[in-house]
Amino acid sequence: MSGLLELEGLTRRYGTLTALDGLSFSVPTGQVVGFLGPNGAGKTTTMRAVFGLTDLDAGMVRWNGAPVGQAERRRFGYMPEERGLYPAMRVAEQLEYLGRLHGMSAIDAQAATTTWLERLGIAERADSKVDALSHGNQQRVQLVAALLHGPEVLILDEPLAGLDPAGIDAIGGVLAEQARSGCCVLFSSHQLDQVEDLCESVTIIDHGRLVVTGRVDDLARSGPRRLVVRVEGDRDASWARGTAGVTISEVDGGAARLVLDPSVESESVLRAAMAAGRVTEFVFERRRLSEVFREALK
Amino acid sequence: MRGGLIAAVLAVVVIVRVWGRRRRRTTGQRQTHGGLGPFTSDVGLVAAREMRERFRGKIFRVGTLLILAVVAAAIVIPTLDNGKPEPQRVGLVGALSAPLRAAVVSSAKSVGTTVHFVSVADEEAAHADLRSGRVDLAIVEGRELVVNKPIGSTDISTTAQFVDAVSKNLGIVEAVEAAHLTAAQSSELAGARALPVHSLQPGAVKGATHTTSLIGLVLIFVMLSQYNTWILIGVMEEKSSRVIEVLLAAVRPIQLLTGKVLGIGLVAFVQASAIVVFALVLAKSVGSDLLHGTAPVVLASTLVWLVLGYAFYCWVYAAAGSLAERQDQVQSLAFPLSLPIIFGYIMALTAAGSASPSSFFKVLAYLPPTAPFAMPVLVGLGKVTWWEFLASALISIVCTVGVARLATGIYRRAILRTGGRVKLRDVLTRAAG
Repeated sequence: MSGLLELEGLTRRYGTLTALDGLSFSVPTGQVVGFLGPNGAGKTTTMRAVFGLTDLDAGMVRWNGAPVGQAERRRFGYMPEERGLYPAMRVAEQLEYLGRLHGMSAIDAQAATTTWLERLGIAERADSKVDALSHGNQQRVQLVAALLHGPEVLILDEPLAGLDPAGIDAIGGVLAEQARSGCCVLFSSHQLDQVEDLCESVTIIDHGRLVVTGRVDDLARSGPRRLVVRVEGDRDASWARGTAGVTISEVDGGAARLVLDPSVESESVLRAAMAAGRVTEFVFERRRLSEVFREALK
Repeated sequence: MRGGLIAAVLAVVVIVRVWGRRRRRTTGQRQTHGGLGPFTSDVGLVAAREMRERFRGKIFRVGTLLILAVVAAAIVIPTLDNGKPEPQRVGLVGALSAPLRAAVVSSAKSVGTTVHFVSVADEEAAHADLRSGRVDLAIVEGRELVVNKPIGSTDISTTAQFVDAVSKNLGIVEAVEAAHLTAAQSSELAGARALPVHSLQPGAVKGATHTTSLIGLVLIFVMLSQYNTWILIGVMEEKSSRVIEVLLAAVRPIQLLTGKVLGIGLVAFVQASAIVVFALVLAKSVGSDLLHGTAPVVLASTLVWLVLGYAFYCWVYAAAGSLAERQDQVQSLAFPLSLPIIFGYIMALTAAGSASPSSFFKVLAYLPPTAPFAMPVLVGLGKVTWWEFLASALISIVCTVGVARLATGIYRRAILRTGGRVKLRDVLTRAAG
């Protein structure tokens, strides 16, 4: 399975508020793409637009070059930000119903429900009503609802919110597996460390506009060089404060995270550190995703 | 009666089970959308879910049993009263001659009852028996009639009619005796029959048709109120639980809404049909006169207008449900919608008992919001021709199409808006645009 989900010039206004302002980016298959942005940036509106759940003032969503319509959406999977299931309906019955709405036969929907409930460790709750499940298990059921019909595109709005580490691992594993099998996976999150672990690419938006998009590795390597330097006996990294072309990003337990100007040689920094005392750590470091995020939104 | 009740309930259960099994078997074997387009298939899936959930619900089961019990009572109680009339107990103080005794028995027969004579020692004892209700009438020495309470001219109870007949007949017997007529002349007088009286205006509504009209009216009122409220709450719950986003990611709003109203409507129709079949079977088995005259036509018309009334109101209630997000908002939205239903119901109840409905009521029979109540009543009264019935039905269908278009526009605009009750003006502006 290969393809490309293209979002082109998406614009959505609510009165005087512009939620999406000509937003364009694309999501390739075969990788997990993180969709980031501060609160109110337009992430949820973008995801809803893919499913026609919000009326666009302008713009278009394409899948493999063709405009996305009802037939295409039936082959997509969606996990909305505010979870939505019938509270009084039994888990398996509800999942089979949703699978059938996505075009599955009754037998296939039943088999896929059993497989996915077992895969996510909630098979014994198949006959429970949804509102009798814990938050984490409801989240798992909601994910199964998005996965059941073997979607070509998986759009997940905050799928990791409120999950314990085991839940995050389980759902994260499923997303990576889906991407490897050729699915196009886009998910939003505020937990940047988890996004960094899970995603190969990220797209960051703000005020309804694209800020940055690219592979996590490329973004981490881009920008100014970073060093972590630890000098024995100097817990405040006071040695670095007077060094030209060096900005202290953070000092944590004696380890100074430094951002170097392009003109500064790392050897000169090492010499300055050695002059201040015994150097116990001197490491080049990639940009963290949280730093990419903060710098992109400056 | 018990046999009829069990048969009707069993019939409904069997139909629902067989339908469910056949559906499971067929859907399990064929690929989705096998012979149907995706639109109808999705509508069918949504409708089937609605039916499954409603049939399972306690409200449906208990409600159906309650309605059946009420219908059974309405049919059976009158027949109990008609089949075994209470004998009139007559206390005799002193002797009563054979001709007078025969006149009393004849009086009882003329009002459809029998008589039971009780000998009483004296007048005081007779008064005591009257006060305690042990006798209905006391005849003192064949010349004086005594009752406990005065009988008004409008009293149509069996006892009142009996006392009136006894009073007149004993007077005639006395007059005949006083006139010293021959036996042949006395016999001739005794065989006298009142001449029939023909009126220019139609008489009051016959009992059976009136009862059927009332049962039909109550059925339409209960079912329209109940099932439309289900639609309103069902739509609101899908919105408030946010499952609507998951559903609309797969199907169009029009499919979801059509499936919902169709599914709940079929449940309503199955329930109403079961009640009508139950009523007919029970009426036949207990010998009720419910099936006589125009009553079956009234029942059929009730079912037709139940369908048309539901079709008209269901879209309105669905649109209202899409504006709400909480239970308290539902209450305030449902109240104004229920006003035309209550108005039509009250007007129809009033008109059902009258021989000649007003022109205003006849107009109501052509307005889609009130026609489901007014038209079956006019049918019961015999005040409507087939083409007038058809015209009203066509008006209702045309208006239903218009209302459905407007309602689906409102639904589509409002169902995905969260964060408080949506203002109708906002969605109407957008729906029109």
